[in-house]
Amino acid sequence: MQRLEPSAPPYGGPADGRTESIEAQLIAAHERIAELEARDSLKTQFLANISHDLRTPLTAVITHAEIMRDGILGPLSERQLDSITGIINGGRQLIEQVGEILTYARGAANQLTLTRSRFSLAEVVSQLSALNDSLASKKGLALITDVPAELEPITGDREKVAHIVGNLVGNAIDFTPTGGRVWVSARRVDGPYGDECVVEVGDTGIGIDPQHHELVFREFAQVDSSASRQHHGTGLGLTIARKLVDLHGGRIWVESALGQGSRFYFAIPYPPG
Amino acid sequence: MAPPRPHVLVAEDNQLVCDAMRVLFEETGHRVSAAGHIAEIVDIASSDPVDLLLLDLGLADGDGLEVLSALRERDALPRVSVALTGRDDAETIARCTAAGCRAVLLKPVPTRELLEMVKGWIEEVNREP
Repeated sequence: MQRLEPSAPPYGGPADGRTESIEAQLIAAHERIAELEARDSLKTQFLANISHDLRTPLTAVITHAEIMRDGILGPLSERQLDSITGIINGGRQLIEQVGEILTYARGAANQLTLTRSRFSLAEVVSQLSALNDSLASKKGLALITDVPAELEPITGDREKVAHIVGNLVGNAIDFTPTGGRVWVSARRVDGPYGDECVVEVGDTGIGIDPQHHELVFREFAQVDSSASRQHHGTGLGLTIARKLVDLHGGRIWVESALGQGSRFYFAIPYPPG
Repeated sequence: MAPPRPHVLVAEDNQLVCDAMRVLFEETGHRVSAAGHIAEIVDIASSDPVDLLLLDLGLADGDGLEVLSALRERDALPRVSVALTGRDDAETIARCTAAGCRAVLLKPVPTRELLEMVKGWIEEVNREP
């Protein structure tokens, strides 16, 4: 069989002109892609810079407000205290969102690296549960954890795995109405994907239409519903979670239907041997 | 006689954050100096011994940790140095710890926690012979 070599077309005559034209178009397309990629990376870098720079003035706002809240400058009335507390809470929420954008931008620019260690997932989940307990009970939700202490420790970046679980639990709490349940469980599974630790974060919340299951992991995507409009996130949480799971060589997916609650899963492989 | 007020040096190039830190520490019984350039920070710490250095890593003219190496050369290291930074990834923590920082704190540190920690550190170094 004769191979087609772009530099030495086997055809003569008018075909030469067509080949050259296609080659020129290909080169132009490659140049265009390279240009768009360069612009995209500039934007990502801008996002990383701006989110870093936003932290500084926010730090000043929050610090001044906390100085006043703590009565360091003199006693406050109850209403003044409420107002100052509102400023602090708003500022802290903004800082978290800015941090999320920064993590996203670093992930998009492939600047996120893992600091691996062997650690107990049960401990991570127990700490997260303590952190989220008051939020859950304020919303009238039961937060249940089922991660056996004897579960084989996983190897990965402890802080980033905590970020993934924390994000999924935060979403579950946000999207589950009063009286519902949110749970976190984990087990070791040696199946078609190999030996891995599978973590489940489930809820009895509003659920996600199966046609949107892939969409929820895309950046800046929030499935349009009154619940997600009330949700105060950046729309980056699940994109970041997927990036962090990918960095661990794992998988993340969701099982859900509208009105049926959601079960998010992610799997982190155990090292061989 | 009242014990001397601990000298806190705020090494930070953002005036807004500097002002906030100055209010926080002056109003809670500390003596505060502040500067945002490496040479200026090193000058202050060399001429007026520092009990606590709050060090921003991104200073106007370079890496905040250069302050510590310059002060080590002059034998004028603060009694306690703490990095206050926007990044607390493992690499940053390792770099700061290797340079002699007691802790790496992510801005904004809740003021109650910061004051609590500072109190503990200063008491600790005061107990040292």
